[in-house]
Amino acid sequence: MLARNAQGIYWLGRYLERADLLCRMMGLQVGALVDRPVAEINFSWRRLFASIGHTPSGGLFDFDNDDFTQADSFTLAGEATFEQRNPSSLAACIRMGRENARQMRNCITAEMWTSLNLSYLKFCESDIVSIWRHSPEAFFDETARDLRSFFGVANATMYRDEAWLFLLLGGAVERAQGACSLLLAQAAEEAKGEAALEYGLESLLAVFEAQETYRRRFGFEVAADKVRELLVTDRLLPNSIGSSCDATYEYLSRIGPAPNQDPGKPLRAAGRTCSLIRHDWPDERDRRKLIEKICDGSMLVHTFVDKGFFQYSG
Amino acid sequence: MNLSSYETDIAIFDEMFLPGGEVRSHCRQVMSTLERMSSDEAAEIQERVTRTFRDEGIAFTVYGKSEAQEQIIPVDCLPRILTGEDWKLIEAGLRQRLSALNLFLDDIYNDAKIVSDGVLPADIVFDCPQFRPQMTGYSPPEKVWVAICGTDIIRTNDGFFVLEDNLRVPSGMSYMLANRKAIKSSFRRLFRACRVRDIEHYGLELNRTLTELAPSGSPDPAIALLTPGVYNSAFYEHVFLAHEIGATLVEGQDLVVRDGFLYKRTTRGLERIDVLYRRLDDDFLDPTAFREDSVLGVPGLLDACKRGNVSIVNSPGTGVADDKSVYAYVPDFIRYYMGESAILKNVATRLCRRPEDLEYTLDNLEDLVVKRVGESGGYGMLIGPHSTQAERNEYARAVRDNPADFISQPVLSLSRSPCIVDRRLEPRHVDLRPFVLKGKQSRIVPGAFCRVALRKGSLVVNSSQGGGGKDLWVLED
Repeated sequence: MLARNAQGIYWLGRYLERADLLCRMMGLQVGALVDRPVAEINFSWRRLFASIGHTPSGGLFDFDNDDFTQADSFTLAGEATFEQRNPSSLAACIRMGRENARQMRNCITAEMWTSLNLSYLKFCESDIVSIWRHSPEAFFDETARDLRSFFGVANATMYRDEAWLFLLLGGAVERAQGACSLLLAQAAEEAKGEAALEYGLESLLAVFEAQETYRRRFGFEVAADKVRELLVTDRLLPNSIGSSCDATYEYLSRIGPAPNQDPGKPLRAAGRTCSLIRHDWPDERDRRKLIEKICDGSMLVHTFVDKGFFQYSG
Repeated sequence: MNLSSYETDIAIFDEMFLPGGEVRSHCRQVMSTLERMSSDEAAEIQERVTRTFRDEGIAFTVYGKSEAQEQIIPVDCLPRILTGEDWKLIEAGLRQRLSALNLFLDDIYNDAKIVSDGVLPADIVFDCPQFRPQMTGYSPPEKVWVAICGTDIIRTNDGFFVLEDNLRVPSGMSYMLANRKAIKSSFRRLFRACRVRDIEHYGLELNRTLTELAPSGSPDPAIALLTPGVYNSAFYEHVFLAHEIGATLVEGQDLVVRDGFLYKRTTRGLERIDVLYRRLDDDFLDPTAFREDSVLGVPGLLDACKRGNVSIVNSPGTGVADDKSVYAYVPDFIRYYMGESAILKNVATRLCRRPEDLEYTLDNLEDLVVKRVGESGGYGMLIGPHSTQAERNEYARAVRDNPADFISQPVLSLSRSPCIVDRRLEPRHVDLRPFVLKGKQSRIVPGAFCRVALRKGSLVVNSSQGGGGKDLWVLED
């Protein structure tokens, strides 16, 4: 497969996975505006923007006034969702994903392209004012559904060749990094000494779609260490860091060696990240530090994939 | 639909109606379907077809002042219909023309006998900006310089005429196929009843053609399609064609020349390419041979080609044969190389480089179409009857300054075909771009990208200037 195509497909997977995570976070956030206390809303906005690595252009305010919080939330939601100048916004992710798909149309199926193009066109018809007027939760739910439909269509129609593996690899790397960033943002907020914020943990489980699993494994009492345990190590949970790192390793081993000077480098880096979760996690007291290491490991995998498969000198 | 308001003009050939208003016999089935159809139904079909193009992203890119924008090619859902007999004439004419053009190209880049025999003035060939001295002495596999040709054909009351040959990177074949797909599914029963000839095997025919031109004669050569990239206006077509012919879609940055061979960079390392179907102008192909500042091409590509290690299709240097001055001599080539008369007529063309033609052109600007020889896409031309005195004065100055840069032709009334406009049937001018292929043998699918000037009265069919497309139905005999 052409190196540039592999790169495009990989980034297609990454952008859409990023958009999916942002949709889930935004859906919860706008839902919280209906009935949650102002402190919790502010907490989640800080966590959301920290996890996507973007500072809102107008800054983040901790209003303790409901009206101000609602007004501010409108602005923040617009920035996280539709602002094209914010490279982490939902609009930017979907546009970039679609642009990668457009450039790689010969590597994906016609059904995949049409599915994504329709989602993109639909998304472009919306703006913050119109979604705010009706049901913003429904908008984010629907957008997430559209994005997942794309992966469903890909699953149903795509030939299982390298392109398929690079699409999955991009998704897995992004999932691992997104999850790490979110957990680190949560930990950073907790470290500020604010109330433990049960809501923050609940919403974290909701973002990872892990509430049911948590209850099955640990019961109804939500505890920070157990939430982390689940979201980092549970390999059966599709959005957990552990399952994303395992998936990264698996796809890389199926793709095979890179054509550069050190063909095994990406796979070894992925293996080391899995090992951190499998072997270091149980004994590590400083869990936040370990999540940072996993996050760095995942970024290293990305660097080696990029250099090994896409940017090698030929 | 109410057809009573449809206007015909005796001076303009109508594809569906005779001058008296009766329906041409081969269009009766289509017409009876239209008569049974309500305006709402027709509008619905039109909307569905447009939506299909939008959903599938069948688009071209236009460049505005600020940024590139994707635009959907407007498509009219009513097909233009040709009889089998008309098509036979077009097909024979195109095959003949392409053979002659290839013989001409192989001649001028080698012995240039046509010049030494006095059939063609030397300066028309060798001073043409599209003549590439770098190609002198080269002869491609099968002596095929032009493997893919898109010829613009118009029809008037006097028959079919070739308007121009597109021999460098002809485009439009994807729209031919996309139009067919969309229209066929909209008129299912009618399509079947009309016994329309199939065009969907175009990709296969193109693949066979490219395979035949592989340098080593390999039965399974590695084929790649070279695109300038996503910002090129025809990028959709490049993707589409790469898919149709099973080629890898590559950009210059994906390619490298090593030891005189062309390779693509893959996730497994470098892999060889045998045939490069380029959709990039000569100037940008190879910075070591053509424009030094090109970042779209591949250094060393021309050398690999001339060593016989890779076939570039169409070959660099073919633009000299579709230059607007050279065009005037194509019937002479056909006679010179093949001993035949041209089956398809040329439009009478005056070369302003000749003093008598210059004088005639300047005296009759109001009645002529004047074109710059180096321009295409409908740009840089003066349509006399539609111009103002000030425009004509300005144009006359330019012609006087550089007469060799201009040609003039009479204004021809392109034929018209019915289109659905505002839920009514209205005539619009059309032309035709069939695609003829040449490898070891020549091939042509019975269809074309039929272009429509969607603005009322306009003769400009180019998509960049408000033109659209139509499906062309060639009927079985």
